[in-house]
Amino acid sequence: MLQRVKRETGPTTALASVDEADLIERCRAHERAAHDEFYHRFRRQVAGNLYRVIGDRVDLDDLVQEVFVIAFRGLERFRGDARLSTWLYRICVNVALGRIRTRKRRPPPIGGIDLDATANADPSLTERPETPQQSLERRRDQETVYRALEHLAPKKRIVLYLHEIEGLDLKEIAYLVDSNPVTVRTRLFYARREFYKILAGDDAVPPTEGDE
Amino acid sequence: MTHVPPHRWADALAGRLDDAEQRAIERHAANCPSCARARDRVQRASDSFVAIKNQPPPELPWDSVRARIHWSVSTERNERIKLDADPKPRRWFAHAAFGVAAAAAFAYAFVADPLPRSELALAPHVDQPATPTRVVTPPVPVAPTPLAGLVNRATGDVMIDGIRTTDLFARRLVAGTVIATGDGRIDVQFGDASAFALAPRSMLELRRFDAEGIELVVEGTVDIEVAPRASHQTFIVRAGERVVEVRGTQFRVQHDKTTTTVACRHGLVAVRDRQGHVEVGAARRVDLAADHAVAPERMRPLSVDEVNDLAQATPMTLPMWSLELLQSSAPLEIATVGRRDVRVDGVELGLAPMRVRVLPGRHTVEAADHAGRFRRAGWVDVAVPAAGSKPARLEVPAEPPPTRNINARRKQLQTGIDKARLAHCVRSIAKSGLTGTYVQIEIAVDPQGAVGFLNVIDTDLPSTTANCVREVLADVRFGAGDAATWRERIDL
Repeated sequence: MLQRVKRETGPTTALASVDEADLIERCRAHERAAHDEFYHRFRRQVAGNLYRVIGDRVDLDDLVQEVFVIAFRGLERFRGDARLSTWLYRICVNVALGRIRTRKRRPPPIGGIDLDATANADPSLTERPETPQQSLERRRDQETVYRALEHLAPKKRIVLYLHEIEGLDLKEIAYLVDSNPVTVRTRLFYARREFYKILAGDDAVPPTEGDE
Repeated sequence: MTHVPPHRWADALAGRLDDAEQRAIERHAANCPSCARARDRVQRASDSFVAIKNQPPPELPWDSVRARIHWSVSTERNERIKLDADPKPRRWFAHAAFGVAAAAAFAYAFVADPLPRSELALAPHVDQPATPTRVVTPPVPVAPTPLAGLVNRATGDVMIDGIRTTDLFARRLVAGTVIATGDGRIDVQFGDASAFALAPRSMLELRRFDAEGIELVVEGTVDIEVAPRASHQTFIVRAGERVVEVRGTQFRVQHDKTTTTVACRHGLVAVRDRQGHVEVGAARRVDLAADHAVAPERMRPLSVDEVNDLAQATPMTLPMWSLELLQSSAPLEIATVGRRDVRVDGVELGLAPMRVRVLPGRHTVEAADHAGRFRRAGWVDVAVPAAGSKPARLEVPAEPPPTRNINARRKQLQTGIDKARLAHCVRSIAKSGLTGTYVQIEIAVDPQGAVGFLNVIDTDLPSTTANCVREVLADVRFGAGDAATWRERIDL
């Protein structure tokens, strides 16, 4: 069972928890208004999770739809072991994993990774408004990260993303990817080696012992 | 000191190294340009993690997504389908009709009186015909741009203009073309997200096929997917006396001597004849006997199976479609023993044998087994089309006989594994503290006990270690018995 999740994107107050339980019950009763409320409450979180994991917005609306369809169908089986937002995050991770796997079999989209929206990143991230040069550099850096992620096997990619970028620990990741922490640790071990080696540039460092 | 592995820089940035090691790698980087460069790159990437984490989602068509979700899951919605009225599409249609009427009125006013109002005010009075200041030439009618369709997929017996042509995928289907199917099916795309699929034993004529209007005459069954069209673009399907008009939708028209059926999966179509007309909304169908007038009471909701059937019959479309695909794509022929469901590059395409349009490159083909599970049938390289070249072809191997008595084979595998060799394979990673690893394999054994194939399908081991494990497993000897194919997870 997931004890604690660092990433709290859903409602956080006790009142919200009561609301959440009520919302789930009403959704289970197939109340249309409850479905709407559920959707409105979590749609941005779901879209954000998917967008950040995948790194582009191609078919993002289809993926959001898929997540909610799975969620509505699976609410019957939701036991409340984790927060609703965490449970949804888990669905997002699985849907994103499926998407990454499918995309690996297809040619990459023209124009590479879409990070147009990075220009609209949260202004609070920067202490003062970015110059165009800074904005361009930031976008390039992010593009580099996603390009490196593209080289990893889907399972490794997800684990690395959740650990390095989202900052989740092994237990949390294990819950999200439906695996055990030991397997996650192994995947992460190799994923980090590969990822940072790619980031550092193949010519930068000669192969070290144990590298594949 | 040896070079610093790049991931150690990430550890250093995250404060996961002790002071001594931190100082040591910094000292090394001070004298090693390649490590310093690696450190800088890792630093830049790590800095961008925060920005990625706080990345806001892009704006999406939220209402449209919500509608699609409800459509998929809401039992309420399914119940409502059974009721007579669905006000939303009707309102939409009313708005669209109003828009069309307004546009038509505006266009009529403009064509009947082509001078702009401002110029009219400046034009000389009609009482002074002797001194015309400007001669207005009537607008020359411009012929609408002709359209052409390309075949995306074909199975079985198909004729174009009465001929069983061999260059089906190299032809442009233009106005006047007649397509007929025997036991086969053909999918033709004529625009981005616009295509039709002619079912077996059907005939279709492209009576009009240009940018202003499309008119198809059908005898048999045709499934059509049409992207939303502008108000001046017409799209009609003639089925005997009946005319089906559409804007943007997916629907099926089935017409024979006795009955005409129009079923709509999404969007809205209008069916009319001389006596009246009826609007067929999403997930509804109307069945019209030859001697019956078009009337709303003949409409009924589609069952879930019928909706699924329509979904499966959706014509195949290629993204970013253009006529240039004629030069930049090529047919791939997939041959099977009997009829089997196939996938190409993970996309399910239906029953083979078939020919399908693909882009040049390497494509993976999978075929469904008797249990409906897709298994890899092979890959095929498709070249850029050249004159006289034969289409790429992949023969899907015949399906192996069904598996029986797996447990006996499983037991033979477990008892036959050389555990000492297995332990030797993972010894080096176990020494690094990595335990609890696994390898999942798929293995086929024939009645004589020979291993047909042995694939590692999932593992968390590095490839060298996984190969070592695979070699150990491949050396297991099976006795005579039943043929079996199964998956096994080996925990290490």
